[in-house]
Amino acid sequence: MRDAILVAWREIKWEIFGDRGAVLRMGIFALLPIVFVLTNRGARVNDLALFTLALQSALFPALSGVALIASTFTAEKENGTIIPLLASPVRDMDIVVGKLLGMMIPVFSLCVGSIALYYVLASAQYGVSRVSAALPPELVYALVMVALLYLLTAGSWVLIIAALVKTTRAGQQLAGLVIGLSVAAFAALGIAAARIEDGWALVVLGVALVLSDGLALEIARRVWRREEVLARL
Amino acid sequence: MVIDVRDVSRRFGELVALDHASFRVEPGEIVALLGPNGAGKTTASRIIAGILAPSSGDVIVDGTSVTAEPDIVRERCGFVTDQPALYDRMPLRDYLEFFARLYRVADPVKRTMELATMLGLADRLDMRLAAFSRGMKQKVAIARGLVHDPPVLLLDEPATALDPETARSLRAFIVSLRARHRAILLCTHDLDEAQRIADRVIVLYRGRIARSGTTGELRASGRPTFVVAFTGDAARARDTLERVGVATDAVVANGTSALRFSADDPGATNPLVLRALLEAGVAVLTLTREERSLEEAYFAIVSEAKAS
Repeated sequence: MRDAILVAWREIKWEIFGDRGAVLRMGIFALLPIVFVLTNRGARVNDLALFTLALQSALFPALSGVALIASTFTAEKENGTIIPLLASPVRDMDIVVGKLLGMMIPVFSLCVGSIALYYVLASAQYGVSRVSAALPPELVYALVMVALLYLLTAGSWVLIIAALVKTTRAGQQLAGLVIGLSVAAFAALGIAAARIEDGWALVVLGVALVLSDGLALEIARRVWRREEVLARL
Repeated sequence: MVIDVRDVSRRFGELVALDHASFRVEPGEIVALLGPNGAGKTTASRIIAGILAPSSGDVIVDGTSVTAEPDIVRERCGFVTDQPALYDRMPLRDYLEFFARLYRVADPVKRTMELATMLGLADRLDMRLAAFSRGMKQKVAIARGLVHDPPVLLLDEPATALDPETARSLRAFIVSLRARHRAILLCTHDLDEAQRIADRVIVLYRGRIARSGTTGELRASGRPTFVVAFTGDAARARDTLERVGVATDAVVANGTSALRFSADDPGATNPLVLRALLEAGVAVLTLTREERSLEEAYFAIVSEAKAS
């Protein structure tokens, strides 16, 4: 795990905060809550609108994260920088987990920061009592968890795609496809969850989602083994 | 020995990239792996480095089996490829410290300073790698390969795309590592580079070892060739030798005529050649064995391998 943390720290420091383009793209997503609140200033905002804006604030940065994961993995292959990593005594799993964490930690932090900023701005705009009634703490927590699950699920599938394609451009194009499909899948799951409301079925749905994450991560681990990566370079 | 390749084969589907290869590299020895594209040089170096498993056979690196403990083998190898493959956004200091930590070097900060000083990059420690020239980048790649002070160094085309001056200083540096008892395996297309710095040469062709030995042994291998120099009519000399069954080709010599011929049994052929020429009235000046360059020897070996 020590090596995974080392790899993750390098990704965060040099590939995200060392890349002005990445910082700018993430900054735009951080500013979205301000735009949402300001553009809805004069309108009559009901509970559903407050919830939808909160969902967007939590989920939009995660969408950028999925594209970031695709480009970081394919760029390593395209530039050949993966070879020195593979030649080091670091385990395959530590490389994959480290790089995934390196992307997920800043993006998930941005998701949390984004929804927190939205909550503060919305409270100032529409009143604390209205916002706290529409968005109770457990709902905000659930939104944050949805963002995390989305990031983990879509990120894992994008990881698999990144192992199979040769160029960053192809990786990003396929990541766009995964983003679109995964948003649709999550929306369908959300509708299903809303119909189920409470009970074991909802728990089963959540467990199935976590299991699919586990499956995707296991496939990602296999396709990112040294042998497999070298065969595709 | 430090590297012991034991009957190693590697297949990629139907393709046999390495076919029952066996060789050794001792401490303080530079061995050049030569061969055309697709000969299996990179596959061999990757197997030795512990990043590609052999389909059969084994490699023992510094007493450790690459099939049983590849993680430990990777700790003992420095691996440098033809492309520097650096993280361009990182400054040199952070880059070397990152790899020093991955290799669990006791004092990464001190080791980084040592390597930067050794390679003449100490004044560029805080410069981003994107700003480095191609030659400097290749030096950084070598520093990365040496960061954990490995007993084995695997260099895969390290001088590719370097200007002659940088390539020369790189060669001098590789030779200096031999004095520090590193076992160095150099995969290269550059015959001149191999001739200058390698103690031994292994020629690979389609995954098989076609020939191995010192550069002198390789140059002396195959059918020996001789040059006979004389004054007089070259056409008449050639006809004379053809009549006694010795095929020749003309050689450009300084102001004299000369013919080259090869002989499986010089003890029988050379007196025959001399006698025939003298009887035909050709004034023979010298008869010498021709020294082949490594390049000529290499092409002869590859031709033989193709034919077989």
